[in-house]
Amino acid sequence: MSDENPRVTKQADDFFQNGAAKDYQDIVRKSWEAFAAYMQPPFGTPSAEEARRSSSTSTKSAPVNLTLDHALAGLKSYADWLQSAAASVSAPQNDWQQQIQQLFAGASQPFSHGFAGADNAGAKTFVDQWRAWLNSHQKADASAANAKPQAPGASGFGFGNDPHAQQQALADAIAKHLEAAQRYQALMQRSNAQAIEKMQARLSKLTAPGQQIESLKVLYDLWVDCAEEAYAEIALSEEFREAYGEMVNTQIRVRQLQQEQTEYLCQQLGIPTRSDVSSLGERLHALRREMRQGKTAPPADHADELAALRRDVALLKEQLLASRSPKSAAKKAPTTKAAVAKKVSRLAVKKSVAKPSSRKITKAAAKKSVVSPPRAKRVAPVKPRKRS
Amino acid sequence: MKNSPFRMDPSKIMDEVSAFQRKLASGMGLLRGARQPEYANTPRELVYSEDKLKVWHFKGAKKPTSKTPLLIAYALVNTVWMTDLQEDRSMVRNLLEQGEDVYLIDWGYPDASDRWLTLDDYINGYLDRCVDAVRQRHKLAAIDLLGICQGGVFSLCYTALHPQKIRNLITMVTPVNFQTPDNMLSHWARTLDVDRFVDTVGNIPAALMNYVYLSLKPVRLNQQKYVGLVDILESPVELENFLRMERWIFDSPDQAGDAFREFIQKFYQQNGLMSGELEIGGRRVDLGQIKHPVLNIFAEQDHLVPPDASRAMATRLGTDDYTQLAFKGGHIGIYVSGRAQREVPPAIHQWLRERD
Repeated sequence: MSDENPRVTKQADDFFQNGAAKDYQDIVRKSWEAFAAYMQPPFGTPSAEEARRSSSTSTKSAPVNLTLDHALAGLKSYADWLQSAAASVSAPQNDWQQQIQQLFAGASQPFSHGFAGADNAGAKTFVDQWRAWLNSHQKADASAANAKPQAPGASGFGFGNDPHAQQQALADAIAKHLEAAQRYQALMQRSNAQAIEKMQARLSKLTAPGQQIESLKVLYDLWVDCAEEAYAEIALSEEFREAYGEMVNTQIRVRQLQQEQTEYLCQQLGIPTRSDVSSLGERLHALRREMRQGKTAPPADHADELAALRRDVALLKEQLLASRSPKSAAKKAPTTKAAVAKKVSRLAVKKSVAKPSSRKITKAAAKKSVVSPPRAKRVAPVKPRKRS
Repeated sequence: MKNSPFRMDPSKIMDEVSAFQRKLASGMGLLRGARQPEYANTPRELVYSEDKLKVWHFKGAKKPTSKTPLLIAYALVNTVWMTDLQEDRSMVRNLLEQGEDVYLIDWGYPDASDRWLTLDDYINGYLDRCVDAVRQRHKLAAIDLLGICQGGVFSLCYTALHPQKIRNLITMVTPVNFQTPDNMLSHWARTLDVDRFVDTVGNIPAALMNYVYLSLKPVRLNQQKYVGLVDILESPVELENFLRMERWIFDSPDQAGDAFREFIQKFYQQNGLMSGELEIGGRRVDLGQIKHPVLNIFAEQDHLVPPDASRAMATRLGTDDYTQLAFKGGHIGIYVSGRAQREVPPAIHQWLRERD
């Protein structure tokens, strides 16, 4: 045990003995759920697996229920807005521009649950969950080391400092993400403010009789047009691009560090990690590619062997042709035949010797290897024209 | 109110609110009891499969009149059934009626085992073997290829790398210039640390992809369309069509991690088709090698692939036979709108027949 980190060993013991394993699982589950909820669209969407399952369902199905969820979430805030808008427009007011502010600014806007989940509440939930994760690790670590947790930003050092360094990195990453989320949220607020300005500008041109707004739905549709227009302008700005990238990148950094912490703990407990599985997948994929390439391209040694055999066949053909020519038939035929027989016999011997079991050449094998005439006969009738 | 843009009668407003609530209350019951609508399911047979991928051969009411089969390569995001969504809105069915012999690559749903698939695997591997399978079935040296969106990008790369296997190339809503000023997806993707993203997340969850697409028009796509739904809840046909589209939108595959990484880096971040520096599987993709007849169809109101992103194709191809068709509609409307049914398949068929 001397090669093990005593603090980690203690931590692992506490982990099991004090029922902390369950707490740990709860934290992982809750953290993951929070992350999944944060990463998904505001109303949630089915995973590919859910979709596949649902596609084989002929009765009331998951997508229909999900559509219901989506619709209800979208409609609830619209219905709430409708109620407040009805009360507002029914009451006599002198300043319609002020009225627009009341109807569409802040929490009273019809899309008050935020632009695609990246609002303050979403960011706060995300950060709160990761802080809970961080705190749980700091407590466990502090308990094991019988020491107070260090404040984020303070540097750790010494043997067994890895967990502490990880926690500190996570705390820093969370702080950076919170900053990035706030910058993003500020842009969303600016987008909403600009939408209201656009709306006021458009409405100011609709004061003539016959052009005025008579229905809340028409007013809502006009607001949607203005909101999307203002959002598009902001979303295509350089400032947004930087803020958006920073928000996503910092969020992924938090998740990356959480994975590293999980893997570290799993390694100490002898549990296979995501990296292990991923590494195997990568190796398997590389092997499949090699196999496929092997199927399409013949190996070089076979190509050489094939070329040598082709040369031999060409030589034999030449010799056969020569043996059939009228002038040389009488004179050369015996020699050629003998040469062919000799060559085939040599090949046959070579073949038999090449077999490991033929080191001890039996009489039958030896006889077979030197029975050249029948093989020569088999070669002789082949017509070169057909071969070519 | 003097000079006010509002002329709202309180009693009419109260009627409007109560009518909305009444429709909502009765309609939600219908929505809750609704069954999942089927896609068009045009008769088809499986002619090739590999891993999660399938190649379908569609059967029309009459025999094809075209001599060359047409293979459709859809995008990896979303499912291929947008091309065969519902009986009266099916691009596949309309192409069959025109006389085309239609094949479709269904890429399937990648899982963890597909995490390491690259663009080389998709383009020089899967797509190449699908093309070979159709070529062998018809004993042809070359076939017609129709690429859609990301599938169009794959088709361009494939045709440049394997020119001898393609006779005519059609692209629909296919970007070539990924960095036009109005491309919001590209704008956001450029600062993404995609290496860390894929290393951490692995395969990209479909829900996350949908989240990004919905973020392009957050109010319209997350709320306004559901407000509009209330008005059609009592119409069974319209409700079914709405639910079918919802099914398609959210029935999306995850994205193979490495292929996603490469696609973001090489196309969105490096704009490789425009710079001419794109390499797939170690081979440079030169669109100048495409000397084939090319029909490029794009949508004028496309918020995912802006028209200029597609128009840029004309400046990069090596062909003298380039035709461009601008469709009045959006990225999805180009397949399922009434106008699309009347205009797009006949245009494709006529263009192909002139070159068959």
